[in-house]
Amino acid sequence: MTSDHSSADIIMTARDLTLRRDGVTLLESVSAQIRRGSITLLLGHNGAGKTLLLNCLHGLITCDAGTINGPSLACQKMVFQKPVITRRTTVGHLRFLCPQLDAAARHDWLRRAEMDRRADAPARMLSGGEQQKLALIGALAAGPDILFLDEPTAHLDFAATKFVETMVREAHEQGMTIVMTSHNRAQAERLGEDVLLLDGGRLVETAPADRFFSAPSHPLAKQYLDHL
Amino acid sequence: MDILNPFQIALSLLTSGDAELMGIIGLSLTVSLTAVLVSLVIGLPMGALLATYRFPGRTALIVVSNTFLGMPPVVIGLLIYLLISRSGPLGFMGILYTPAAMMLAQTVLVLPISIALSRQAFESLNGEYALLFQSLGLGRLERIKALVFEARVALLTIGLACFGRAISEVGAVMIVGGNIRHSTRVMTTSIALATSMGELAFAMALGIVLLLVALTINIASQLLRHSFRNLGHDI
Repeated sequence: MTSDHSSADIIMTARDLTLRRDGVTLLESVSAQIRRGSITLLLGHNGAGKTLLLNCLHGLITCDAGTINGPSLACQKMVFQKPVITRRTTVGHLRFLCPQLDAAARHDWLRRAEMDRRADAPARMLSGGEQQKLALIGALAAGPDILFLDEPTAHLDFAATKFVETMVREAHEQGMTIVMTSHNRAQAERLGEDVLLLDGGRLVETAPADRFFSAPSHPLAKQYLDHL
Repeated sequence: MDILNPFQIALSLLTSGDAELMGIIGLSLTVSLTAVLVSLVIGLPMGALLATYRFPGRTALIVVSNTFLGMPPVVIGLLIYLLISRSGPLGFMGILYTPAAMMLAQTVLVLPISIALSRQAFESLNGEYALLFQSLGLGRLERIKALVFEARVALLTIGLACFGRAISEVGAVMIVGGNIRHSTRVMTTSIALATSMGELAFAMALGIVLLLVALTINIASQLLRHSFRNLGHDI
């Protein structure tokens, strides 16, 4: 995230990303580095450009200007804020997300998510929390180098949130790089190592999480924290 | 004409197991179901392609396909006739006045329906799944396969719409099939013939049989849809 690290420590670099749609600048010259094996939090108010930046970094949106250097798409996974669920069974959806998993591994992942009893239930009939857990294990099971999570615990209850955070921590301990957005300050403080703060499509502060939350340097960062 | 008479004739025809009638029903179903199957095999991937990719000539393809939606069956019959008649470019196949010609005509007739309706279904699903497919790095063929699988319930409805158009069509099969007894006579051409001969009760009876066949197939498809719904596959 910062320029203090050697290139070996950096898994993804974005330079001067600019995105315009219908004459409106949605992202403006955003430059950032993501440290390998870190948990980076993208923070900002609604409409700040967090999801757009996440989509750009993952390659789902092509920017009008700027460059992104990072792992190939095959080494990346993303979990959307509203999980996209296919018209299949739970285990069928997991197979679709991660076709390389064998039956035993699929069952094991479902068991870890406490969803093995619902393996044959239609995935679209799972609760919102279960669908999000399914999307998360589908992404984690593939073992990507970098995982993008767009507000993965929005609308989730305490238990499901705890599960998501536990899985994120485990993946992080195994060396996976996580980039996620969140509106939950406590969660951001629990999980975040690096913070990128966006405001109006501009990156206004990049800092280690502990420094960001204890002594933000940019006035907009102080304002943002006051509102949280 | 006694209004109940056609129903009585229809009932007696069906219960007697009249061999000629059964042959006509069998040929009608064979021709129409084959045409629907072929049109789905060709039309669904084309619909998926048109829904998911922008390529040169795409708009022209959509316009042509939509134009054929409103094409009168007799015109399609005439075009196929010109193609497969002895002096036509496909005359060497020798299929004029055979069930194969009727299948070809009905395929051409329902293919635009298959393309247009599947394009609509796939466009809607593609909007829902585009980001996921992109994120998973699916290639063109994988995306189309996944979309066809996801749209399987909608495709059942498309198949039914195609079947309804095919089984009720008379002009095209009359021209390229010739309405030859024991060979290319189907229910609709039989009705046309009976009407022209003044056998109105018999024509009505055949019409009722045609409706019953369509009803049976619709009930079967509804049962299939219901079982899909129970599995949550169309929600």
